[in-house]
This record gives sequence, structure tokens and C-alpha cells, in this order.
Amino acid sequence: MSAAAQEGGGIHHGPADPLFDITIPGTDFHLPIYNFVITSWVIMFILVFTAWLATRNMHRMPKGIQNVWEYIVDGLFSFFGGIMGEDRARKYGPFLGTCFLYILLSNYSGVLPGAAMIKGFVPPTNNVSITAGLAVLVFLSVFYFGIKAKGISFFKHFFQPMAFLFILNVIEELVRPVSLSLRLYGNVYGEETIVAQLGEMVPLLVPVPMMVLGLLTGAIQALVFTLLASTYIAGATEEHH
Amino acid sequence: MGAILESLGFEFPKFLWQVVNFLILLFLLKKFAYKPILNMLDERKKSIEDAINNAETAKNEAEKMRKEYETRLAEAKQEAQEIMAKATKLGEEMKHEIVANAQSEATKAIQKAQEEIKREKDQAIAALRDEVAVLAVMAAGKVLGKSISVEDHEKLVKEFVSEVGDLKC
Repeated sequence: MSAAAQEGGGIHHGPADPLFDITIPGTDFHLPIYNFVITSWVIMFILVFTAWLATRNMHRMPKGIQNVWEYIVDGLFSFFGGIMGEDRARKYGPFLGTCFLYILLSNYSGVLPGAAMIKGFVPPTNNVSITAGLAVLVFLSVFYFGIKAKGISFFKHFFQPMAFLFILNVIEELVRPVSLSLRLYGNVYGEETIVAQLGEMVPLLVPVPMMVLGLLTGAIQALVFTLLASTYIAGATEEHH
Repeated sequence: MGAILESLGFEFPKFLWQVVNFLILLFLLKKFAYKPILNMLDERKKSIEDAINNAETAKNEAEKMRKEYETRLAEAKQEAQEIMAKATKLGEEMKHEIVANAQSEATKAIQKAQEEIKREKDQAIAALRDEVAVLAVMAAGKVLGKSISVEDHEKLVKEFVSEVGDLKC
């Protein structure tokens, strides 16, 4: 972490980012608190708090917030179940579902009116560092889940269908996080930029269609990211005969 | 590749923040959302399955019981009919018996009465015979003009009776 802090200390993007530093008492260590971190925390708080409300006192006959969360979880798990089967969806669903919910709310956080005007309110997914974080987690989870499910034979698929394709397979594996992170970042950043530019030129009404489109893109990109992640994990944990 | 990422605005601390935040979120959602909700869904699924199975079993049971009762009812009806038939037969038999008894009783009574009559008649005849003998002796005495002593009288009656006794009356 100290290396990260030093590195982060030098680079600043945009005004007041990081918003502030927290100095750990007794050390020289600065913990930068970025705008997106605050937004992330708000998103995390909303998700965890509503989930806590929903499951704090569960009823067999669901109502209110419990119904909403049951709908979300059931919907996500049946979606993953369609890709990798119900058993594996049970194992990997929490990771994938969290990806989807976090990305969706991140994307939508930028659509909120006046989002750009509040300090510490930046959609996390319009920053490549954040989408890279998510993509690297997917990349690592593919290895983690793959090795956990199949042991050493997980690595066999790098030599299939022919051993000499090993290099290509490795490149493919490495390109995945790059494409994942850049796709998500590009879409959200592009969307945000267009809305911002249009808003600067014609502040009234004109950006509205783009914002509506933004709602669509936000959901689609969250879905695409999660869908790709789940096919990667499904491929890595698949039992070959 | 590092240069490309940097030109896009990649910053390692942000990346690390994201990884940490995401892992925390994953942990918390697992604890507060996925686990309890999936458990609840499983539980509900199981309870619905149980309920359906129970309903099925209860239905089958009811059907079985209905059949059993129907069989029993049919049996009971048949039995009742049998009992009725038996009772009717028994009644008939008893009637016959009673009638027969009454008839034999009547016959006996008639017989007895007839015997009684016969005996009375015999007795009357015997008594009459004695009386006639006495009267005859007395009449004879009157005709003879002399009374007969008591000893002669009895002797004569006995002789008369023993002679007449052999005759049919």
C-alpha cells in the first residue's frame, strides 16, 4: 500500500482529486481519498444497507424490500444458471452478481441530475483505473475458480486444441481484462463526455435523449461485462467429460 | 502497455482502492444478500414442494378411504339384506312351529277331553248298573212279597252284576 500511496501522491487528474488525504498517525503514509471512492462508498452503502434491511427479518411471504432483493438475487442467479448451470451459478453467482450491481449503480450514478456538481460524486466506472480493477478481479477470479474447481488440470486448456497454440491462448487470456476494462470505461466515459459537451452547448432538453440513451448504455454495459465475466468463469470451470 | 494505460488516466492507487472496495462489497453482499436470500428461496421452494407432495398424499389417502368406505357400505348393505332375509326366514319358521304346536296341543286337548268323557261315561254306566241291580232286587223283593235280608240282598246283587257284567251294554 505504501508504494501505491507514493505513486498516487504524484499524479493528479482534474481538480481536487484526491479530494483529501488521510495521514496515518505516526507514519509518513498518506491514504488518498478520491472522489470516486466516496461515490463507491455511497453505492456500497446503498446496496449493503438495503440488503441488510431486506434480510434482517425475513418472512416466508416476502414483502417490501425483501421482495425487491429476492427478485434481484433470483433474477441474477437464474441468469447465471442459464449460462453455467445452477450448481456453478450458486458458487460464482455472488461474485458475478456483485459485479453487475456495482457496475450498474456506478453507471447510473452519473445520470443523476447534478451529479457532476457535487464534490466526491463521480461515476466510478468512467475511470479506467476502476474498470481495470474490476477486470483484473475477473481475470484473477477465472484462475482462482478454475484452479479451485479443476486443480492443476485447469492449465490444460492453455495447450488445447494443440500445444503450439499455448502462446495464443495466453494472449487471449491476457487480452480479456484489457478488453473488459476498456469497453466499460470507454462506453461510460464517452457517454458522460457527450452529455457534458451537449449540456455545455445547449443546457436545456437537447442532452435528454443522450441521457436516456445513457440509461440504456449503463444497463447494457453492466450486463455485457457480467455476461463476459460469467462466460470466462464458466469456461474455466467446465468439466471436460 | 503501461504507457497506454497511463495515457488513459490509469492510476495504481485508484486501482487498488477499487479492488479493496469491491472485495469488501462482495463480502458484505454475500453476508447480507446472497446467503440469506438464497437460503430463503431454497427453504420456500422446499416448503412448496412439501406442500404439494402432502396435498398429493392427502388426496390419494382420501381417495383410498373413500373406496374403502364404499366397499364397507356395500358390505354393510349386503349384510343387512342377509340379516333381513334370515330374520324373515326365522320368523316364518317360528310361525310354522307355533302353528304346529298349537295344532298338536289342540289335538291333545281334544283327545284328553274325549278320554275324560269316555271315563265319565264308563263310570256313569257302572254306577247305573249298581243302581239298576239294587232296584231290580228291590223290585224282585216286592214281587216276591218278602223282603230280602241285607246279606241276601248283597249276595244277589253281586251275582246279578257278575252275570250282567259279561254282557255288552
